[in-house]
Amino acid sequence: MSSQLPVLLFLVPFVMAVAMPIVCAKRRSWCSPLTIGAVSVMVILAIMNLRVVLSEGSIEYAFGGWAAPLGIAWLDDPIAAIMALTMCAVALLSLVFGHAVLTQKLEKSVPYYTLVLLFVASLVGIIFAADLFNIFVFLEVAALTGYALVGAGGGKALVYAFRYLLLGSFGATLYLLGVSYLYVATGTLNIADLGSRLPELITSTAVVVGLIFLFLGLAIKMALIPLHGWLPGAYTNAPSAVAPLLASTVTKVALLAWMRIEYALIAPGTVVNHIPVLVLLEDIGILAALIGGGLALAQTDLKRMFAYGGISHIGLILVGVSLGNPTALAGALFYLINDAVMQATLFMIAGAALHYHGVRTLDDLKDVTNRSPWLTGALVVVAISMVGLPPTGGFFGKWNIVLGALEAQHYLAVFAVLASTLLTLGYFLRLFSCWFYQPVTLQTEQLEVAVTVRGSLGIASIALIVLGLMSDSIVRVFLESLSRSGI
Amino acid sequence: MAELFGALVQRPNFVVFVILFLWGLYIMAAHPNYVKKLIGLYIVQTSVLFFLVAFSAKYNATVPIVAAGMALDAAAYANPLPHVLTVTAIVVQVATLGVSLALVLGIYRNYASLDEDEVLNKVQ
Repeated sequence: MSSQLPVLLFLVPFVMAVAMPIVCAKRRSWCSPLTIGAVSVMVILAIMNLRVVLSEGSIEYAFGGWAAPLGIAWLDDPIAAIMALTMCAVALLSLVFGHAVLTQKLEKSVPYYTLVLLFVASLVGIIFAADLFNIFVFLEVAALTGYALVGAGGGKALVYAFRYLLLGSFGATLYLLGVSYLYVATGTLNIADLGSRLPELITSTAVVVGLIFLFLGLAIKMALIPLHGWLPGAYTNAPSAVAPLLASTVTKVALLAWMRIEYALIAPGTVVNHIPVLVLLEDIGILAALIGGGLALAQTDLKRMFAYGGISHIGLILVGVSLGNPTALAGALFYLINDAVMQATLFMIAGAALHYHGVRTLDDLKDVTNRSPWLTGALVVVAISMVGLPPTGGFFGKWNIVLGALEAQHYLAVFAVLASTLLTLGYFLRLFSCWFYQPVTLQTEQLEVAVTVRGSLGIASIALIVLGLMSDSIVRVFLESLSRSGI
Repeated sequence: MAELFGALVQRPNFVVFVILFLWGLYIMAAHPNYVKKLIGLYIVQTSVLFFLVAFSAKYNATVPIVAAGMALDAAAYANPLPHVLTVTAIVVQVATLGVSLALVLGIYRNYASLDEDEVLNKVQ
C-alpha cells in the first residue's frame, strides 16, 4: 500500500477530474466541495508519502512492473516528497481562497473545476517523473490547463492567454527537440540512466545542442529573463481565483525539472568549448535576479509587480542550483518551497485587494481607508519573507545560497543575492508607502473579508514563519538526499 | 564548403526539418494574424515530429513484432520508441490546437478581429 502512494497522489485528482463532468452535470453545487475534498485528500496522501519516504527511503515506482531504463519509472525521493506536499498544500490554499473571489460564471462551471484538478494532477506528475519524456507530457498537461485557466476570465485575459500559449507551446517544442537529440546520442530517456552515460559524451555537439534546447524550453516555462514575456500579462489578467494557483506552481515545477536534469547530467566543473557550463547558468540566473528585481521596482500595477518579483526569485533559485555544491542546492530547493508559498500569498493579497477594494494599481491603494487587518498582516509577513529577514523562510533560503556561494568563492553570486534583496526591499517600500497612505478610519463601516480568505491568508503567513523555524531540518533532509545520490 | 554541401545532400531529411522549423518560427513571429500564428506553431511542432521519425528510419527494417520461432536480430527491426514518442507528441499537439482555437474564437467574439495589432490597440 505505502509503495503505491505516489501514484495514488496522481490518481486522486485525475480520476476526480474525469468524473467531474459526469457527477456534477446535474448538481453544479457539488463541484467546489468535491474539488476541495480531492485536493485535501492529496495533502493527506502527500504527508503520508513524506513520512514513508523519510522513514523507509526513496521509492522507485516502476509502471507495469518494467524496471527503470526499459520501462517508465517515477522517483519518489525526499526532495520530490517535500515538493509534492508543498504544491498540494499551496494548491489547497489557493482553491479555498479562490472560492471567495470566484466570479458567478466560474463558480458553477464544471470545466473550471476539471481544469484545476487536471492541473494539480500534472504538477504531481512533473515532480515525480524520472524520465525526460514523461516530464514533457506532464509539462504540457500543466501548460494546456494553465492556458485555459488564464483564459477563463474572458476579455483581456484571452489575449494574454493566447500569447502564453504561443510561447509555452514553442518552449515545449524546443524541450521535445532537446529530448530527441539526447535520445539520438544515448538511446535512453531515463534521467538516472542518462546521467551514467553522458559524462563521456558531454563534449559531443549533439549532446550540447540537446542540453541547450532542453534548457531553452524549460527556461520559457520557468519564465527566466529574457524569456519571461508571457508571465506578467497572463498572471495580471488571469481570474483572481486562478492567479495564486498558477503563480505559485507553474514556474517552480519547471525549475525543479531543470534542477533534476542539471544535477544528474552536468557534473560540477564541466567545461565545454572553454565555457564552464554551470558558471554560465549561474550568470544567467544572476542577470535574471537583478533585472527582474529592477523591473518589479518600475511597476505600478500590483499584480504585475508581484509577477516580476517572482521572476526575480526564479533567477535567484537558478543561481543556487548552479553553484555546484550541496549547500547552495539545498538552499535553492528550500527557497523554492518558500517562493511557492510567498507567490501564493502575494497573489491572494492582490486578488483580495482587487475583489474587495477594486484596487489594481499602487495609486488606487492610496484611496483605501477600510482595509482589512488580515490583508495588512499577511502582507507584512510575506514582505519580511520576500526581503529575507529571520525568522521567516525566505531568510534561511537566501542564507544557504549565500553560504554555498562563499563556499564556491563566487562573490558575484553573493552580490546578486544581496542586491536582489535590496531591490525587493525597494519595491515593498514603494508598496507600503501607498498601502499605509491613508490611516484606517474606524468610523467607516469595517470591511467584512470572507472567512475563507482570512483562513487561507492566515495559514499562508503562519506557514512562512513555520518554514523559517523548521528550515534547519528541511535543509538537512535535502542535504542527506543529495549526498546519498552523490554530488 | 564542398564537404558541408555533401553532408547536407546526404541528409535531406534533416535539411527539410531545419527549413520547416525556421519557416514555422518565422510565420509565428512575423504574421499579425492569430490563426496564421497558430499555423506557424503547428509547422514548428510538426517539424520536430518529422525529426523524430526521420532519425528513427532504418534501411530494410521491419515492424518490431517478434513472431514465435523467429531469431532475435535487433538490426532487422525498426526502433519503436521514437514512433511511440511521436504518437504521444501528436496527441499533445492536437490538444494544443484545440485549446488555441478556443482561445482564438474567444478573442474574435470579444474584439471582432483576428489581427494582433488591432486587438492589442483595443485592449490598451
